[in-house]
Amino acid sequence: MEEALVHSEHETSVWPMAVGASILLSALSLLSFFHWQMPILGIVLGGAMLAILAIGLAGWAREAFQHAPEETEVGTIAVAAFVVSETIIFGTVFVAFWVGRIDNFDVWDTFVPAGLEASFAVWLTFILWASSIMIVLSERAFTRGDRKNAMIYLGATLGLGLLFVVLHMNEWIHLVGEGFTVDANVYATSFYSLTGVHTSHVIVGIAINLVLFWVVASGLMTRERTTFFKGAGLYWHFVDIMWLLVAANAYLIGGAF
Amino acid sequence: MQETVANPWFRASFREWIFTTDHKKIAILYGMTSLLFFSVAGLMGMAIRLELNQPGVQYLDPDLYNYLLTGHGAVMLLWWAIAFWGAFSNFLIPIMIGARDVAFPRLNQLSYWFFFSASILVLITLIPSQQIKMMWTGYPPFVLHDTAGPTGLYVLIVILIAGSTLGTGVNFITTVLRFRAKGITLGKTNLIIHGLISSIVVQLVGVPAFVGAVVMLFLDKYIGTGFFDANTGGDPVLYQHLFWFYSHPAVYVMILPAFGVFSEVLSTMSKRPIFGRTSMIYAIWAIALLGFLVWAHHMFTSGMPQWLRIFMSFTTVLIAVPTGIKVFNWVGTLYGGAIRLNTAMLFTLGGIFMFLIGGLTGIPLALPAFDINVHDSAFIVGHFHYVLGMAMTLGAFSGVYFWYPKITGRMYPERWGKISFWLILVGANLLYFAMMMVGIEGMPRRYVDYPEIDYWVTLNQISSVGAVFLAVGVGVTFYAWFKGLSGPEAGRNPWGSPSLEWTVSSPPPPQNFDSFPVEVADDWSPYKYH
Ligand SMILES: [Cu+2]
Repeated sequence: MEEALVHSEHETSVWPMAVGASILLSALSLLSFFHWQMPILGIVLGGAMLAILAIGLAGWAREAFQHAPEETEVGTIAVAAFVVSETIIFGTVFVAFWVGRIDNFDVWDTFVPAGLEASFAVWLTFILWASSIMIVLSERAFTRGDRKNAMIYLGATLGLGLLFVVLHMNEWIHLVGEGFTVDANVYATSFYSLTGVHTSHVIVGIAINLVLFWVVASGLMTRERTTFFKGAGLYWHFVDIMWLLVAANAYLIGGAF
Repeated sequence: MQETVANPWFRASFREWIFTTDHKKIAILYGMTSLLFFSVAGLMGMAIRLELNQPGVQYLDPDLYNYLLTGHGAVMLLWWAIAFWGAFSNFLIPIMIGARDVAFPRLNQLSYWFFFSASILVLITLIPSQQIKMMWTGYPPFVLHDTAGPTGLYVLIVILIAGSTLGTGVNFITTVLRFRAKGITLGKTNLIIHGLISSIVVQLVGVPAFVGAVVMLFLDKYIGTGFFDANTGGDPVLYQHLFWFYSHPAVYVMILPAFGVFSEVLSTMSKRPIFGRTSMIYAIWAIALLGFLVWAHHMFTSGMPQWLRIFMSFTTVLIAVPTGIKVFNWVGTLYGGAIRLNTAMLFTLGGIFMFLIGGLTGIPLALPAFDINVHDSAFIVGHFHYVLGMAMTLGAFSGVYFWYPKITGRMYPERWGKISFWLILVGANLLYFAMMMVGIEGMPRRYVDYPEIDYWVTLNQISSVGAVFLAVGVGVTFYAWFKGLSGPEAGRNPWGSPSLEWTVSSPPPPQNFDSFPVEVADDWSPYKYH
């Protein structure tokens, strides 16, 4: 009964509104950039959005850790429910990929670019696996009370995540250079969507892990309340597992067969 | 230390309102926003009716007409038929399960701000150059064409709404699973909680498909991908599949909570426990589950394999079984009861009646042989206005009347409520029955103009008269709710219900219950009548 003891006068919080404002700004930023064709305005709004989002999330995390009276296990249920939703989002892209694959069965060969290497996907897989192991080690260290090692392992998680993003973007640039652009054919469209929707999740995961790093480093998180840690870990593993499916489809079923 | 009940929610300060994490205030925020948009979308519908009152193009130019159709549809579905239940979930669920608040009160506020941000984007479409004209369905390839209006705006409206529903979904599922007071098992919770939570689960699973679909629209339009472009191997029908994978279940998002209201009101106003309670719970969840297996019945004319048509036709007809169970059980609940025909009860009975007509016309529509002939005709429009339009709205109004004493602490004026009910019932039936008839006669939907055929004109004019009755009826209900604010004190439990929300004072105090944990007797049930 998490909030049962909170007095009515504390029933307000300014942080959700700050995050909400950044959500509205992000929509306006996208619209300015893409639809209203005012790219500068779009970038300015996007920057403002990031700043307000950072402030809002930081304030929110601080408030949650300082005011909530006791630890509860509800966070993991929430993350699990959220992951169900995320799976469906990925599912739509898989459906798009398979519809294209089946519709164009006879001409698919002509869609596949020469420079696509399945072995590259294997290297990326190892990087993500390593990062998943790191976050598990980090959580173990933290529950042991070993904050220093927890931060080192978490730093390694972040570093590997970043490495994944950088290598992946490099790969995209390389493929685009070969003429495999998003509008080339439906394989290109679904290849970049599958890998893109995944990479965007890696970036969100990195952002979550950054907040986690901050609450661990600043001492806001104590050994008694690691729900956020568990939730972040669960999400990171989910991103890792989705990579296997994305790579198997985008690289193997798309490129090899 | 505790704030007294003498200071109800409507006396809270502005600061308290906008930064609140109290589920009851957030409920009021949802409800008010929802009602405001409902009114605007209603006026849009009236403008459409005015134009269709006679053949020819009199008042609205076709572009504006398309905007009004899109706006009426999108806002009625997303801001009214779905979002208004957000107000019910927020207000009722924590109190009915004996909790202090939802699991994540701040996330709850954030969900509202998502909804609010989407509302701002909708207001942008009022600017003439920003009118979206792609219908709420947003089918490609039309949606990618410039005459359809700003695609990006449509996409972002959907995404922000989705953010709101996902936040709400995660929050309320956790709340119901973990915050029930001891002794309130899932089998014992109020049926409206099953109605609301099943609709929330459907959203959690379905909305992401809609999001995926519109993100693909966005990429196709602005980045140049080819998801729906047949020239590069894409498939425009893919959009329809993804869209309806959510948007058919969405009709249960709108109607299952109304079923919940019907059950609560029928039981309370006839002083009888719900007949076949367990079967009611299974029926709700069966409908929620089956709802995901029928989407292609919206696409019988779109081109798809024959086996898929037959399968989806079969599953669609199958849904009549759990819905039939529910209707029988409602009738069974009334049997032998001490029936009290007040406004809440009238709206519930009217809602069931409208649902029956809408449901029974839905069965032939499940059969491709019939559906193909009336596809995209006014018959469809009449049909779904019976179900989504009226069964949902009457359910929602019934719910507001029923819990009005709890929400405001006052009694609404019964006389005005009843006048409103009869105006709405008569008006809606004139409006939508005539619409179904003109549809059977072949009048297509969505056109600004129609040929001068005598009985088409007559039927359209009957519809228009009905629309006026309906609009006045809704206005009278708003008046009744306003007038009720200065009505007599209602007390804790004016209807004599054993359900948990009636054990707290009206309006409920900020902390809901005087002491925690909340305890219920072993044989407690929200429908325990003798
Ligand atoms: Cu349907």
